[in-house]
Amino acid sequence: MKILNTILAAGAVSLTTLATGAVAQSYPDRDLTFVVPYNPGGSTDPIGRAFSAELSKILDRNVVVENRPGGSATIGTGDVVKSDPDGYMIGLGSNSSLAYQPLDKDNLAYASPDDYEILVKLVDLPAVLYVSADAPWQTLEEFMNEVKAKPGEVRVSVSGLRTAPDLVVQYINANNEDIDIRTVPFSGGGGEALTAVLSGRVEASVGYGPSIRSYVDAGKIRALGVFNDKVYEAFPEATPVSELGYKQYLPASYYVIAPNGMPDDVKRKLIEASAQAVQAGDFVKFAETNSYQLDPKTPEEAEQELREYSEIFAQILAFIGG
Amino acid sequence: MSEALQGLIYGLGVATVPANLLAALMGALLGTAIGVLPGLGPVAGVALILPLTFTFDPTVGLIMMAGIYYGSLYGGSTTGILINIPGEAPSIVTAIDGHQMTLKGRGGAALTLTAVASFVGGTIAVIGVLLFSPVLSEIAIVFGPSEFFALTAGGLLVLSRITGGSFASGFLPMVLGLAMSTVGVEAVSGYDRFTFGTQDLLHGFSLVPVVVGAFGVAEILMMVDRYANRIRPPAVGWRDLVPTREEVNRSWLPWGRGTIIGFLFGLLPGPSATMSSFAAYRLEKAVSKNRDKLGTGAVEGICGPEAANNAAATSSLVPLLALGLPFSTVGALMIAAMMVQGIQPGPLLLIQHPDIFWGVIVSCYIGNIMLLVLNIPMVGIWVKMLTIPTHILISLIIVIASIGAFSVHNAIFDVWVLCGMGLVGYFLRKMGFHLAPLVVALMLGPIIEKHFREALYLSNGDLTIFVESAISVILWIVVLVLMLTVPLAKVWQRMSARRGTLEAD
Repeated sequence: MKILNTILAAGAVSLTTLATGAVAQSYPDRDLTFVVPYNPGGSTDPIGRAFSAELSKILDRNVVVENRPGGSATIGTGDVVKSDPDGYMIGLGSNSSLAYQPLDKDNLAYASPDDYEILVKLVDLPAVLYVSADAPWQTLEEFMNEVKAKPGEVRVSVSGLRTAPDLVVQYINANNEDIDIRTVPFSGGGGEALTAVLSGRVEASVGYGPSIRSYVDAGKIRALGVFNDKVYEAFPEATPVSELGYKQYLPASYYVIAPNGMPDDVKRKLIEASAQAVQAGDFVKFAETNSYQLDPKTPEEAEQELREYSEIFAQILAFIGG
Repeated sequence: MSEALQGLIYGLGVATVPANLLAALMGALLGTAIGVLPGLGPVAGVALILPLTFTFDPTVGLIMMAGIYYGSLYGGSTTGILINIPGEAPSIVTAIDGHQMTLKGRGGAALTLTAVASFVGGTIAVIGVLLFSPVLSEIAIVFGPSEFFALTAGGLLVLSRITGGSFASGFLPMVLGLAMSTVGVEAVSGYDRFTFGTQDLLHGFSLVPVVVGAFGVAEILMMVDRYANRIRPPAVGWRDLVPTREEVNRSWLPWGRGTIIGFLFGLLPGPSATMSSFAAYRLEKAVSKNRDKLGTGAVEGICGPEAANNAAATSSLVPLLALGLPFSTVGALMIAAMMVQGIQPGPLLLIQHPDIFWGVIVSCYIGNIMLLVLNIPMVGIWVKMLTIPTHILISLIIVIASIGAFSVHNAIFDVWVLCGMGLVGYFLRKMGFHLAPLVVALMLGPIIEKHFREALYLSNGDLTIFVESAISVILWIVVLVLMLTVPLAKVWQRMSARRGTLEAD
């Protein structure tokens, strides 16, 4: 099936390349800017860099990564949305910056997918629940029993209040009467939430694969569960919460966005090149080694998904009183 | 021990591959240049070369990035010492005594001594990293929110009077710095504060434009004052570049103390290079034999801090390489360089990629030797800066400082902060206030608040968490002792003086 898709996609690309041959010569005639609305370094920066490296090969132009961090990624995202729609500035978006932040802030340059173009969905990053290697709980079920026995007492470290891992926990709190996990913020990035588990200051933590991978491999922490509807290939030992009957997943999802109003041929070329980039061997390999789940989606499917995320975030915010 | 020795030999093999030697040299050169230019810091430099590293072997990229980081700390004090414009936050305290030395005609000797101080701090720290990194990496885990609160809040109290003067002359700028640090997105829950609905203020006041404004632009305004009054530092001849025997003899102990302070700070999260140079200066004030001369051009005031910030930059490689925890922005960039190339930073790096682990550490040793060899002859060139006509020097610095301020977030707002802080700094200094406490408060304010609130989340609001661990209690006792010794000693002196006069009667 996958092979068939690739063949079809490749065929489609070569056909349209023929059809739009004239455009291919005029666009792109200079370097592109790819805005990553996060700090250089950090867990999100590399995915933007890996994608722009592929895009650069396909378009045969430099795709220069520019970090414009701040405002929980809304500053850089807003810059892309407001930029000239000439196809030379695109950027990285996430379900947090695109769907959650507009609910939280009302002074943003965008409110919904109507305000920008989605070129492609890149990857999902499911949240992992992990405990210290010497913690008493061996399985997710044992841990959840502890949570049910001590409502509001079991502490889970997250990388800041109302950050993605916090919302993952609140989502499950909001929809299950018998679950009340207390989140403790450690806002120095994933690293501090992780050290809080290692030092035994909290019972568990929710985080993401790239930052915990080597700690699991080194036997210092144990991945008990994953907020996913299927086995997470990067951590096959972690029980998907769906197996215990919970339906709240909420992964971190990443997209590539561009401003509204690009010329049709430019837009088409960008969408095709982006679709090609996420299926390129180097990008797939990068995703696999860094525990990303590949989930290439067309612009239409991605837009639908973002609207669903907005509803979920609205429900969580109502629950935590945001 | 034997593991460290094996590592050293293995790392030496990796670090002396021509490509890696070249990388260390490039990093050292770039770092020195970035350090000398005020406002352009290692973060901007490392971010610029990050994309370049993707095409090289990961070891080459990491060696170059580390080189830029510690190289920038060599050059950072140059402008501070010569024209009283510190290039970045860690060199603020070096400028205090360093510039006084320049005014006395000893600027060349000051530059030579700081280069050697950086070398001593850097190389001894490398040896410490080689010998102890497996043990030391655990320190970061022992420190939790309540311990960090004690370290940072206590540190702010101790450092608030670092430059001496009256209580108010340091306290008011400190309060101003704390107030400024609350602007922007607050760290724990991400709410905006005091942004008045604008995007520009979301970042808050960044350290670089504030430091370069309050010290650099303000100093330029002071220079205009002085130019009108025709006071210029004496030019430095070739013979003045060599420190006297007395200056060297007085430097040994501060070098050693600074290195130890810097090494310990580098193991902890936070702005360790800056924190450690301030702490080293404070330590010299407390224990140095010539503590009374500090602030008037004493070599102790430049040797301690400079050894400290280089040692901190080097020892911060321990949590980075042994745990995969980036405690600084430069560290985060080095993590990014590894991840893009499919290398997992973390506790397994030593086992899976020993070439990176040992190669980077040993290359720091080689890089420091290169920097010493590069920087000592450069001193002769830098002191020529004093002979540049003031109007040209001022224009050059304003341009470079503006670029540096802009480069932090690619935001023009930071250039306005630079100008505004220049004016604020000028007037505060004219009125006799000290600006170093402002910078310390701006830097530590958000960290103090974050650790305070995180500790309370952890304990569910129970305040006893702040004195639960032995580390917190010890830290608070040290702070109390440091805070109270000077005032108590004064009271004691006054009382014994009075008793003396009574007895004489």
